[in-house]
Amino acid sequence: MGELELLHGYLIIGALLFGIGLVGFLARRNMIVMFLAAEMMLQGISVSLVAWGRFHNDWGGQMLVIFILTVAACEAAIALALVLMLFHSSGRLDVAVWQHLRESNQLPFVDQELPEAEVEEPVWPELTPAGVEPEHSLDEVVHRGHV
Amino acid sequence: MFEGDKIHLLMALIPALPLLSTLIVATFGKFVLRERSHLPVIAAMAGSFVLSLLLLYEVHNRTVLADEAYAKTETTDAAATDDHHAGDPTKKAVEEVYTLWTWAAVDKEYARGTENVDGTAAPADVAGKEFNFIVDVSLRADPLTAIMLCVVTFVSTLVMIYAVGYMHGDPSYWRFFTYMSLFVFSMTMLVSVSNFVMLYVFWEAVGVSSYLLVGFWFEKPSAVAAGKKAFLVNRVGDFGFAIAIFLIWVTYGTLNFHDTAATDTAPAVAGILGQLRLADPTLYVGGAVGLAICLCLLTGACGKSAQFPLHVWLPDAMEGPTPVSALMHAATMVTAGVYMIARCTPLFMASPHAQHAVAAVGGFTALFAALIAITQTDLKRVLAYSTISQLGYMFLGLGAGTVAGISAGMFHLFTHAFFKALLFLAAGSVMHAMGGVIDMRKIGGLRHLMPKTCWTFWFGALALSGVFPFAGFWSKDAIIAAAGVRGEEGPAATLYTVLFWASLFTAFLTALYTFRALFLTFYGRERIAPEAGHHAHESPSVMTLPLAILAFCALGAGALFDWHSIFANFLGHTPSLAYSAVAATASHGEHSHLGLAVFSTFVALSGVGLAAYLYLGDQIAVTKLTTWLSSPFGLRLYQLSYGKFFVDAIYQLIIVWPLQLLASVLGWFDRRVIDGLVNLGGHLPVRLGALLRPLQMGLLPFYALVMMLGTLVLIGTLFMWRA
Repeated sequence: MGELELLHGYLIIGALLFGIGLVGFLARRNMIVMFLAAEMMLQGISVSLVAWGRFHNDWGGQMLVIFILTVAACEAAIALALVLMLFHSSGRLDVAVWQHLRESNQLPFVDQELPEAEVEEPVWPELTPAGVEPEHSLDEVVHRGHV
Repeated sequence: MFEGDKIHLLMALIPALPLLSTLIVATFGKFVLRERSHLPVIAAMAGSFVLSLLLLYEVHNRTVLADEAYAKTETTDAAATDDHHAGDPTKKAVEEVYTLWTWAAVDKEYARGTENVDGTAAPADVAGKEFNFIVDVSLRADPLTAIMLCVVTFVSTLVMIYAVGYMHGDPSYWRFFTYMSLFVFSMTMLVSVSNFVMLYVFWEAVGVSSYLLVGFWFEKPSAVAAGKKAFLVNRVGDFGFAIAIFLIWVTYGTLNFHDTAATDTAPAVAGILGQLRLADPTLYVGGAVGLAICLCLLTGACGKSAQFPLHVWLPDAMEGPTPVSALMHAATMVTAGVYMIARCTPLFMASPHAQHAVAAVGGFTALFAALIAITQTDLKRVLAYSTISQLGYMFLGLGAGTVAGISAGMFHLFTHAFFKALLFLAAGSVMHAMGGVIDMRKIGGLRHLMPKTCWTFWFGALALSGVFPFAGFWSKDAIIAAAGVRGEEGPAATLYTVLFWASLFTAFLTALYTFRALFLTFYGRERIAPEAGHHAHESPSVMTLPLAILAFCALGAGALFDWHSIFANFLGHTPSLAYSAVAATASHGEHSHLGLAVFSTFVALSGVGLAAYLYLGDQIAVTKLTTWLSSPFGLRLYQLSYGKFFVDAIYQLIIVWPLQLLASVLGWFDRRVIDGLVNLGGHLPVRLGALLRPLQMGLLPFYALVMMLGTLVLIGTLFMWRA
């Protein structure tokens, strides 16, 4: 396999990764998934950088990728922290919830609401009582009633 | 006899002292001098007065020498002609010009054609020549200027002393003295300068001082309105004056009064009123151009001297403090127009019709204002209309166009300054005591309360009425006589005859309204305005002393200076009046007018008598008369006079309202159309921005999509470009 074919193969892989990431970023509204998609785009670029570095026999490409990985790690830490905070304040991961930066006289964009996740009451297995119920300590009843 | 430099120093110091005191009081008045602000001003005024007297003395000495020189030429020439006035006038004229510095100089500014606008040939000395536009700040000394300076500084000094009492305790004490001092500076410069442009500059400067002082109590809306009115009405006159100056420039190619000597670069230029031009009457342009110049000058004089139809500002100007009324609106500033016309006599001699117009305006205004004055109830307003009327007399004298008439007009200016300042100051004294009330319906019988004010007012009233031997008698009589002489023969004799009888009737009315004011204010039942409170009192001696001095001037100034025609002879040495055209008229009116003097005294006394009959006592007669004159049978004469012939209303109707209408239309156009266009420029980006606004929807995936599409477009364009 010649150098060129090798490069083509890597570039196709990189482009595919980038394309899948792009589509994922545009198509999904879940913030975590969008973040993952963005990471995927980043990896696509990294692959093609490595390929080009190899092709040109230049370490710059690899070096850049190491940087990207480092930055991506930091970015992941910050982005996930932000997503976590947003989730805490609204309980939603839908990116469409956060439209506050629009023009003041612009009506909010209302898409079809994401269906509420159906929360079913957990059904716990009923077990046949076995043995004698131990005597409850009064202290335990008063102080640890909820346990 | 002073050397040249000393008289120059005098001429420069007379206006310099008031200017200096203005600067001192303006700088230190508010915080340092405060209640002592009058000190530098009074010192400067008194200094200026003393210097003016010195100047007068010096000019007088020169006139004596000039008379001797003139007498020599007279005897040698007398054989040649029968006319005993054929002496060499260059020997008679007394003139001293001192150029301080050159204000503006433009080389070869103007090339004079050989024809005037009306097709007549231009005077020989200007035809087809090139002229430099040079405005010198030059002062002149001649009898006319010396007299004006003495009058201005003398009355100013007394009024300033009076104002110490009158303005006492005013919060803007220093401001008052600053303005007054500024006025005196402007006025002394106005009568001293020897150039039409400088005359115009100081003409405006006195106008500004007048504006500032009329509106001195600027918290009072009526005072502000009066100041504005004075300024605006004067603008109308000044417009005429400016046109006259332009016309003079294009006609004569110079604006100097005096001749300019030849220099290395420029030839000699004959000034408008210089001796070179005066010596040859053909060098004055007559015809349409000359008439236009004179009528425009007359318009300017009418504005400043409150002659019909521009008299409306003066009665309103009484809103200012009374010393202002006395100094500016009676004695000095309003006489600037008279001074200007007297100064320009040679121009008027060249167009007799303009001279008739001066006489007609003056005679008509005198009668017109006197008719208004007899029904006014405000003491100061009576005096204001009286001032207009007396200024009318002065114009009539000047309009007579003879040496006798012009010197009578100037003499009336001289005596009027004393007795009218006196009357105003006395009225101010009443006002001071009555807590600012001057309405004669509210006050009366004040002679016991204010004996000094009362007797000084008597002196002023007698002088104003022209009762022998008070000052007004001599000057007014001379004016009436001059009009009478012109009415006997010569051009426009009918006009002058009418004016003669009108001025005699005005003399009767003058006595009537003056003594009406006197009797209503000082006689009858004692009525004190409630505003005066319990401290109605005679004014302090700082106010009564100037009154007393002016009272003696009102008594003596006429007889003293009319003796052997001292005044007229002295004034006759002014270059404008010493030369042929005017001087040839000197023989008119020299014959005695004893009969007229007796008659006019009788007229004046009958006016006094009628006033006494009507207004002393219970005033039943006057009530009946007023009722009859107000009725339709009496043609509503009373309302006509009381309403000031409705001139203000007419102006309101034909000038103010149309202008307001025009202004509101233009205002609408400005706000809607002009501002609309400008605002459109501002709104356009906003509207364009609004089109793009929906893009900012705040939805992250949308931004990402747009970013991607944008990048695609960029890349696509790049490829297209390459291809």
